Amino acid sequence: MKKVAALATLLTLTSALAAAPKDTLVYQSSSDIPTLDPGVTYDTASGGVVENLYETLVTYSGASLSKLEPLLATKWTISNGGKTYTFDLRKGVKFHSGNAMTCADAEYSFERNLVTNSAESGNWFLAESLLGTGANADDDKTITWARIDKAVECNNAGQLVFTLPAVDPAFLAKLAFSGQSVVDSKHAAGLGEWNGKEATWKDWVGKDLTNSKLSQNPSGTGAYKLVRKDSNTLLATAFDGYWGKKPAIKNVVIQKVSELAARQQAFLRGDADLIDGGGRAVDEAQVKGKAGVDWIDNLSNTVAQAFFMNQNIKNPALLGSGKLDGRGIPATFFKDANVRRAFSYAFDYDKYIQDVQKGKGKQRTMLLPEIFGGYDAKVSKYTYDKAKAEAFFKRAYGGQLWKNGFTLTANYRQGSEPSQKAMEILKANVEALNPKFRINIQAKQWSEMLKDSKDGKEAMTIMGWAPDYADPDNFMYTFYSSNGYYNPRLNWKDTQIDKWLEQARSTVNNTERNRLYSLVGKKAFEQAPYILMPAGIGYIFMRDNLVGVSASNYNPMISFSATGTFWKELSKK
Amino acid sequence: MLNFIVKRLIQIPVVMLVLSLMIVGLTQLLTPEQRAAPYIRSEQQAARLEQIIEQRGLRDPFPVQYGRWLTSTLQGDLGYSKASNQDVIVTIKERLPRTVELTILTAIPILLISVWLGTLSALHKDKFIDQLLRVFVVLGYSLPSFVVGILLLAVFYAYLGWLPGSGQLNVINTFALGDIKTYTGLLTVDAALNGRWDIAWDALQHMILPALTLVIVLSANIIKVMRNNMLEALTSDYVRTARAKGLAPSVVNRKHARRNALLSIVTLAGFLIIGLLGGSLITETIFAFPGIGQWVVQAAVGVDLAAVLGFAMLTAVIVVVVSTIVDILYGVIDPRVRFD
Repeated sequence: MKKVAALATLLTLTSALAAAPKDTLVYQSSSDIPTLDPGVTYDTASGGVVENLYETLVTYSGASLSKLEPLLATKWTISNGGKTYTFDLRKGVKFHSGNAMTCADAEYSFERNLVTNSAESGNWFLAESLLGTGANADDDKTITWARIDKAVECNNAGQLVFTLPAVDPAFLAKLAFSGQSVVDSKHAAGLGEWNGKEATWKDWVGKDLTNSKLSQNPSGTGAYKLVRKDSNTLLATAFDGYWGKKPAIKNVVIQKVSELAARQQAFLRGDADLIDGGGRAVDEAQVKGKAGVDWIDNLSNTVAQAFFMNQNIKNPALLGSGKLDGRGIPATFFKDANVRRAFSYAFDYDKYIQDVQKGKGKQRTMLLPEIFGGYDAKVSKYTYDKAKAEAFFKRAYGGQLWKNGFTLTANYRQGSEPSQKAMEILKANVEALNPKFRINIQAKQWSEMLKDSKDGKEAMTIMGWAPDYADPDNFMYTFYSSNGYYNPRLNWKDTQIDKWLEQARSTVNNTERNRLYSLVGKKAFEQAPYILMPAGIGYIFMRDNLVGVSASNYNPMISFSATGTFWKELSKK
Repeated sequence: MLNFIVKRLIQIPVVMLVLSLMIVGLTQLLTPEQRAAPYIRSEQQAARLEQIIEQRGLRDPFPVQYGRWLTSTLQGDLGYSKASNQDVIVTIKERLPRTVELTILTAIPILLISVWLGTLSALHKDKFIDQLLRVFVVLGYSLPSFVVGILLLAVFYAYLGWLPGSGQLNVINTFALGDIKTYTGLLTVDAALNGRWDIAWDALQHMILPALTLVIVLSANIIKVMRNNMLEALTSDYVRTARAKGLAPSVVNRKHARRNALLSIVTLAGFLIIGLLGGSLITETIFAFPGIGQWVVQAAVGVDLAAVLGFAMLTAVIVVVVSTIVDILYGVIDPRVRFD
């Protein structure tokens, strides 16, 4: 027994030092960090590190999604009717390698993104602005070196000049995306990355940079520089040569811990300042209110989700009889607006908020998060209304639908409990209206669903969108335009809405854009192409000695979503 | 003897070839979209699905895809693992030593304890100690490792605070890791060779709970087999003869009975070590221990073909090498099974 006691004491003595030190931020995450190369950064786990090692020309001002402020730029001017952007760059900025940042580095960075523009990256939206197409030179042969070179140049005054083929009101927001960070061109070329020269550009087209030399050995201008990254741990330390204010947190440790229980225990013991949680229900039960834990609720959510009602279902297997005879549906079942409206009135939004979101959810008026410019809270919303649903079903197909009934097969993403619950709520309510109405719901693997929905082969499904850049166009065009990314899943076209969305794309006048988006919202309510899912309400939690995290400076566009801030804004007491 | 070893080693490439054909063949049952899924992390990236399939040649016919894999493998390039964000070779080089370290720390206690307890149980058949051990065996059998792991973590880390939680080192020590020169890849050994006893001790502490989990879960089977073997040996003719000759009971038990009872334990030990070296999938995941097992779990979840193939190749080598060693050990224990 004595031996056991002695061993225990020894172990206690050594592991008592485990708690996260004051100058060190410890974050235990559930996901890995795929890349540290800004040229291919397109996921939040990578972005959460890249945005702290590197810097972009502009960044968001505090919690605002519409106000941008200079970061590596000091100011900018827009000329030539909104097609030329001229940036003055910050002086005296050093890269982690010791190299001084010049305009050539910025030019190199953007050209590299346009040249490579690999499928894995988010550079397609930069290319859309600067080349007028999201493709790279492999996929679009009209892209030449001359076009890339002309799109971004340094002038004689050392200013960075972008020349756009057409007006793009979202261009500045796109520059705040961590994938558009300025990289150290000398360092990168020295490692064997593209040398920035015309002679070699073709070799780099479409190249996947996920595991590039630069990813393994990054050099940015950010407040933190990489110490080491191995399979489970990433270590970063404050960069002594940083041009800005010296950060309070000296070291940052990101550990990958897949097991939720292990993360929770580390967090509750204070060994981790921040962890990835397990969803609201789990976190509220196991973490909220515990000693040493701070909880911030009612944060904005930038994901928009909806039931998709496909108006041209290209999958006979889902159609049953393919006719309105009660045993199936025609491929164009959802083409009748009355059907879509009836479904929209049949979904119990409040029940979904209660059951799935534990009361923490709210209905939106359009598929655009309310924190974005252009969101109009005054647009009408569908509510759960049996009488109205019944009335619209009776009106559909000249009364045939109500008389004959239908059998619809709807798929949801396997493993997504919220989607399953939502489908079940809709099914129960619709089937209760008329015994001849039948909805079969089934789970489907994500990869299959991605393909089938893209090919227009899903009848009804639930999907969402998170923003690439903070501009309403990224949602409105994606969801509502007949040229938008989601259209093949919906096969819906409204010429008037298309026109408004194109107009909103080609003006930099925000009042005008907001007016147009509001019009789209109103028309979309009336046409009901989607059933809008209530949006969850965001929350974060952290150890209570962590300072600098609050609802007032939480910015959902910052990839480090554990705090919604850059690391340099944090400290510990 | 040498012939025997060489023959076994020649088996490795053949086994690998068949395995790789099977695995690449099986993946052809997946659609190109499913095989492209590991490259997609969001709806936004899904928009680029077609380009990803195109770039990686996922629509190519099976012989083309297999040929591509084989060519690069023969050039020593096992491909890039999405699950580890590294080349497969680099991943194995980095992670295997850690798993070896955990295997050493786990397998030796398991074998020693199991042989001891199995013998003890047989010698005290139906007495209290035997009953107790049988309860332990049933428990060890029926408790899944994720239950034992989380339970140990909750008690010794979260509640008592005696042992560290997940990972391989404490946060502060992870920074010192860059200064440590690598000799063997085994962190405890390397740290000690660098004179960093604090880090060696820290790494050792981090392995106690995962090792304990594996000891609890994996000992049961061997204890049971050892008990049965011992019981059989104790009632055999040669033991009776030895006893009749007037040898001391301890000598009879150790030299005559136990030695024979150990034969099948050697086979089991082989399987145990193959299993441990192939990564203790669940235990490594629970304790965020950056070994082979943790990687394979992620790879399997993400349909990471390069990783799964690389792991299969590694396992083939481990299986052939360990079973060769087991066969040699057989000869050492049992003179009837000599190879020359």
